Amino acid sequence: MTTTAKMTENGAQLFARLEGRRSLRDIEPHIFPDGAGPIQGDVVEFHGTEGSGKTETMYHLVTHCILPADRGGLEVEVMYVDTDYHFDMLRLVTVLEQRLGEDAKGEDSGAVVEPEERVRACLGRLFVVHCSSSVQLLLTLHYLENTFCSRPALCLLVIDSISAFYWVDRSGGGESVAKQEANLRKCSELLDRLLRDYRIVVFATTHAIMRNYGHSAQADVAAMTPGLSEPSSSSSSWRQWSSHASNFDKAYLSRAWQRLVTHRVLFSKGEVTKDRKQVFSAACTTTSTRGTKCSSFYVMGGGVQFL
Amino acid sequence: MVVLRDGMCPGLSEELVEAFRAADITTVEDLVSSDTEDLAQKCSVSYKALLAIRRVLLAQHTAFPVSGADLYEDLLSSTAILSTGNPSLDKLLDSGLYTGELTELAGGPGSGKTQVCFGVAVNISYQLKQSVIYVDSTGGLSASRLLQMLQAKSCNIEEQMEALQRIQVFPVFDIFSLLGCLHHFRCVGLQQASAGGGSVKAVIVDSVSAVISPILGGKQNEGMSMMMQVARLLKTIAKDFNVAVLVTNTVTRDGNGQLKAGLGQSWSHVPRIRILLQRLERPGSTCSSVRTATLAKSSRQPCHLKEEVDLQCWGRSEEQLYGMSGKRKLENTEPS
Repeated sequence: MTTTAKMTENGAQLFARLEGRRSLRDIEPHIFPDGAGPIQGDVVEFHGTEGSGKTETMYHLVTHCILPADRGGLEVEVMYVDTDYHFDMLRLVTVLEQRLGEDAKGEDSGAVVEPEERVRACLGRLFVVHCSSSVQLLLTLHYLENTFCSRPALCLLVIDSISAFYWVDRSGGGESVAKQEANLRKCSELLDRLLRDYRIVVFATTHAIMRNYGHSAQADVAAMTPGLSEPSSSSSSWRQWSSHASNFDKAYLSRAWQRLVTHRVLFSKGEVTKDRKQVFSAACTTTSTRGTKCSSFYVMGGGVQFL
Repeated sequence: MVVLRDGMCPGLSEELVEAFRAADITTVEDLVSSDTEDLAQKCSVSYKALLAIRRVLLAQHTAFPVSGADLYEDLLSSTAILSTGNPSLDKLLDSGLYTGELTELAGGPGSGKTQVCFGVAVNISYQLKQSVIYVDSTGGLSASRLLQMLQAKSCNIEEQMEALQRIQVFPVFDIFSLLGCLHHFRCVGLQQASAGGGSVKAVIVDSVSAVISPILGGKQNEGMSMMMQVARLLKTIAKDFNVAVLVTNTVTRDGNGQLKAGLGQSWSHVPRIRILLQRLERPGSTCSSVRTATLAKSSRQPCHLKEEVDLQCWGRSEEQLYGMSGKRKLENTEPS
């Protein structure tokens, strides 16, 4: 396959391959461990139950990507594959406006560009595509290969969520597990090739729907919880934490997908503070670093705010 | 799975489909994923022709990316916010039901889910003069109650009848008829599916749990699969036809005794907005029409917002509402 691909390579492909895409290493130092942010070819999985802040975090990261460089953003293009029909453009614009406004305040009077215009310019770097079945997802990814090829600024592919078709595929594939997972496996194989050939970064969310009854995973998560620093109460809160969140951290998608993932971020809903603010936490593990990086954040009107 | 057939696209002849089948390629996915050069040799067709077929098939079955700027533009011009007719509920929903979104009402028996659905349907059909599709899976729809709500708003019988005309009721009693009904909307379009005048702005399903919960349970995937298909259809209908979708769900209790919406983890990801309705436990009053509504999920407002919702609000005209509050004030000032 690689030999034929190289033989049919055109100028745009060559350009995209040689010029190289931007790394997203410093996209959010709060979430990712120091110096181990996602670089070209990495796959980050965002895993969590309903209402644990995955989508909000995704908006935060996407906003950071599409913001212009003079506003502290990365100024790269993003392809957002919405398989859940969940993408809320109005919310993204709210977050975006907040970020644009924040920076404008800092420098007070600069070149005054219409805020509407600036939002539009940012949104021009975002592409949204809705997929309604795993077959369509696969074919769309094939189709997107051309887009990746012709747009070297396109660095990030977001799939929200990769687990959307899990149940439908499970039941559609009959008895054989291989058949049930066939589409996701093919998607993963294709993604693997796209990652290698075009050096993009993939962010994907997975819904935590499987309960994990094992104990080893719970121990891992408990050890890395930030809120459990007091050693005296560790045993009781340990159990509490486990029963709350970690029993949903089971990875249930196809092995082919699991192999691609280089960073895994586990989201969970924490406690409500005294001033009635919900605390969310994210725990990131990577294949290249040891240990876990933990972070907590609030979700405010203007987006994610790290503690 | 899209099976390859002759005539699907120019150049795809019957012989070629046969040749593909011999090479173990029966679906569009197989063809697209396969190595084009290799396949051209195996089936002895020209590489160029095969590449053209692949391109056309891909274009037929893929979803196309839209620029975020265009999407935003579309959204600004097409999104409508439908008032529910209940001020406190509107406050929770950030001024009403948004078109293109799926909103869920969760609550136990007698928490007023169906009454809220009635009220929303009446308000949209009478006040906003838009059509409503009401999918009734419990047999709980009461036309006389709808009429009662309308009578409170208007004395004109013709106006009442017009408003009732705009509420289209589709009774379904199992998951298959619900799926059939939703597929029908999707295929023929909502405007054709509803006979009444005015454009359809809302689809109400009362209740999804009544038809879905019987098929869940045990170690089987079919039930989950059908549930997710219902979810997907509702979401695509909301998005493609730009209507507000309102569904009702039951509640269960989690490990800590807290109320949460039913139908399990997979469903919990489906609605974009969730409101939890509860009876108000007040000592002394046994049968009150006031419920507490809690915002359990939202991307616009902080969660855990609480409001008291009076279900009788829809059954009153504006003057009555005013009169009632005046009367209550009088009672309060009276020395007891």
